[in-house]
Amino acid sequence: MEKKSLWKRITGSREALLALILILLFIIVTGFNSSFLTPSSLQQLIKNNAVTMVMALGMLCVMLVGGIDISIMSTLALSGMAIGMLLKYDYISGTIVPFIIAIAIGTVCGFLVGLVVSRADVPPIIATMGFMYIYRAMGYLISNGGEWASASALGSFSDFATTKFLGLNCVIWIVIVCYVFFYWFMKWTRTGRKIYAVGSNPEAADVSGINVRNIKLLVFTIMGLLSGLGGALQVGIYASAMPNMQKGGEMDVIAACVIGGVSMSGGRGTVIGALLGSLILATIVKALPLVGIGSLAQNTFKGVLILVVVVVNIILQRISDRNALKGREM
Amino acid sequence: MAGKSGRSINNVPENPVKKMIFSWEGILVLLLIAINIFCSIFSEFYNISSLLRQMPVYLAEVFLMLGMAFILVMGEIDISVGSIVCLSATLACLVSNAGVPFPAVFLIALLVGTCCGIANALILTNFQELPPMIVTLSTQIIFRGIAEIVLGSGGSVSVTNTDGFRAIAGKVGQVPYILFLVLILAVIFAVILGKSTFGRSVYAIGTNRLTAYYSGINVQRVRFIIYTVMGTLCGLCAMFLISNSYGANTTTGENFEMDAIAMAVFGGIMSTGGKGNIAGGMISAIIIVCLRVGLGQRNVNAQVILLIIGLLLICTVGLPNLIKNARQSLKKS
Repeated sequence: MEKKSLWKRITGSREALLALILILLFIIVTGFNSSFLTPSSLQQLIKNNAVTMVMALGMLCVMLVGGIDISIMSTLALSGMAIGMLLKYDYISGTIVPFIIAIAIGTVCGFLVGLVVSRADVPPIIATMGFMYIYRAMGYLISNGGEWASASALGSFSDFATTKFLGLNCVIWIVIVCYVFFYWFMKWTRTGRKIYAVGSNPEAADVSGINVRNIKLLVFTIMGLLSGLGGALQVGIYASAMPNMQKGGEMDVIAACVIGGVSMSGGRGTVIGALLGSLILATIVKALPLVGIGSLAQNTFKGVLILVVVVVNIILQRISDRNALKGREM
Repeated sequence: MAGKSGRSINNVPENPVKKMIFSWEGILVLLLIAINIFCSIFSEFYNISSLLRQMPVYLAEVFLMLGMAFILVMGEIDISVGSIVCLSATLACLVSNAGVPFPAVFLIALLVGTCCGIANALILTNFQELPPMIVTLSTQIIFRGIAEIVLGSGGSVSVTNTDGFRAIAGKVGQVPYILFLVLILAVIFAVILGKSTFGRSVYAIGTNRLTAYYSGINVQRVRFIIYTVMGTLCGLCAMFLISNSYGANTTTGENFEMDAIAMAVFGGIMSTGGKGNIAGGMISAIIIVCLRVGLGQRNVNAQVILLIIGLLLICTVGLPNLIKNARQSLKKS
C-alpha cells in the first residue's frame, strides 16, 4: 500500500475542505468589509452564534446514531423561560444556580425524548415533533401565557455574557470548553466510539455487545443537556426570556451539522466538522448584508445553501463510488 | 406483515364485529364519540351548528393530511407543506389584488403549489440517496423565504376583492362547501390508495422499496406523482385558508406539516411505511377538528391544544410498541 500524498490527504479529508472554504469566506468578506477580520468582530460572531454552536454538538451525536431532534428549541425555550420566571419572581439569583436549573430541566426533557425513542421505538422525527409541541406549550404556560422576563427582571444573571475572563468573553469560554470536551469524548472515550458504532451499523453494534437502546437514550439526553445550556446562554446573551425564543432555530442547528458533513443516515461526522459547519453558516449569515443581499432574502439563501451542500455531497459520493468501481476493474 | 394493516400471511379470520371494534379505526370511532361528549359537557355552545360554523378554518388542513397519508405510507415525510401553503396563499393574494379574475386566481394557487411539489419531486427522484427529511427541510426554508421576499418588509397582504373567496366559503344550508370537498376528495384518495394498482404499489414501496423495484414498480414515477399531488393539495388548502382570513402573512401555514402528520399518524398510518389507510386518517382528522372547536369555544389557549396533539401523537405511536415489547419480554421469560 502506497502512502497517501499530502495533497491527496487534504483533498480527501472533508474537514480540510471545509477549513479551506471557511478561509476563502473570511478573505472574501474581509475584501468587502475590512473590519470583519478583527478579534473583537470575530468574538462577536462567536458570541452571537454560541447557542447554535453548542447545540450543534448535541445534534452531531443525535445524527450520528441516525436520528434527528427538532424539539431542541422548544427545550431551550422551556428551560430558558423557567429560569427567566424564577429570576423575575426572585426565587433564585446569581449566575451558577440558574445555569444548573436550566441544564437540569434540559436534561430531564432530553431524557424523556430518549425514553420515548429508545424504549417505545417511536421514530425520532415523530417523537421530537410531538415534544416540540409539548415543550413549547409548557414554556408558554409557565410564562403565565406570554409574559417576558426583561433585562431588569433577570438581575445580575446576564452579567456573565458581558464579563471577560483571560481576555475572552465568558460565553466564548463556555463554547471552547464544550468543543474541547466533546472532541475528547467522541474520539477517545469508549462511549463516544460506541455512538459511532451504533450509527454505522446498529445490528453489528448490537451483536458486538453494545446496548443500542441505552446509547440512543444517551444521545438524546446529551442533546437535552446542551439545549438546557443553550437556554441559559440564550437568556444571558440577549438579556431577556420569552416563550417564543429561537422558534425555528433547530433548522440552523441541523443546517450547521449538514454543512459540516454530518450524514443524515448516521455514522459519519466529526466534532471539527460541526465546528466548521456552524462557523461557515454564521459567517455567511453575517456576510449576506455586506454583499448586498437584504435580510429578507437570508432564509431563502440559507435553504438553497443546505440544498446545494447535500446535493454536491451526493454527487461527490457518486463520483468516488464510480472511481472505486473503476479501481477494482482489471 | 404484508400490505394493508392487519392483513398478514397467517391471518386467521375472526369474528367480524369483534374485529371491527378492536381495529384501530373502531377505537378511533369510539374516541370520536367520547370527544364529542366531552366537548358538549365542557362547552355549552358546542352543538352541530356551531361545529359546522367553526370547522372550515381547521378543515383546510385535512387536505394536507390526504397527501401526507400517501407520503407516510410510502415511508417518507414531507415537512415543506406548510411553506408551500404560505407561498401559494401569498401569490394568490397578490394576483387577486392585481385584478386577475377569481377562477384564474384559484388556478394560479393550485399551479404554484404544484410547481413547489414538482421542485421537491425533481430533487428527490434525481437524488434518491437523499433523505426526504433533509430535502423538504431545505425547501421548507426556501419556499417560506420566497414568500418573505415577495411580501417585503410589511410581511403581510390582504385581499381587496373578496367576492370569489366569499363564494368558496359558502354553505349549503348549514354545511360548508369545504366539508363536501374534503369528504369527496377523501373518498377518491381512499379508493386510489386502497383499491387501485397505484395505491397498492405505494404500499409495496413502503413495505420494501427494493422488492417493489425488482417486481417492476416504477418507484421514482410513483414518488414523483405523490410529491406533485401533495403540492397541488397545498395550493387548495391555501385557497380555503384565504377564504377564512382574507389575507396571508409570513406565518401562514406554520406548523401545518406537523398537524397533517399528527392527523395521519394518529389515524394509524405508520411513519415507517406500508401501513394504515385513509379512513383512519379521516376519523382522526375529524377528532382533532372537533377537539379544536370544542376547546376553542371556551378560550382554551392554543398552546394547550398543541400540547394535547403532541401527547396524542407520541402516545398513539409509542403505546402499541411498548405493549408489543412488554408482551415479547413476557413470552421470553
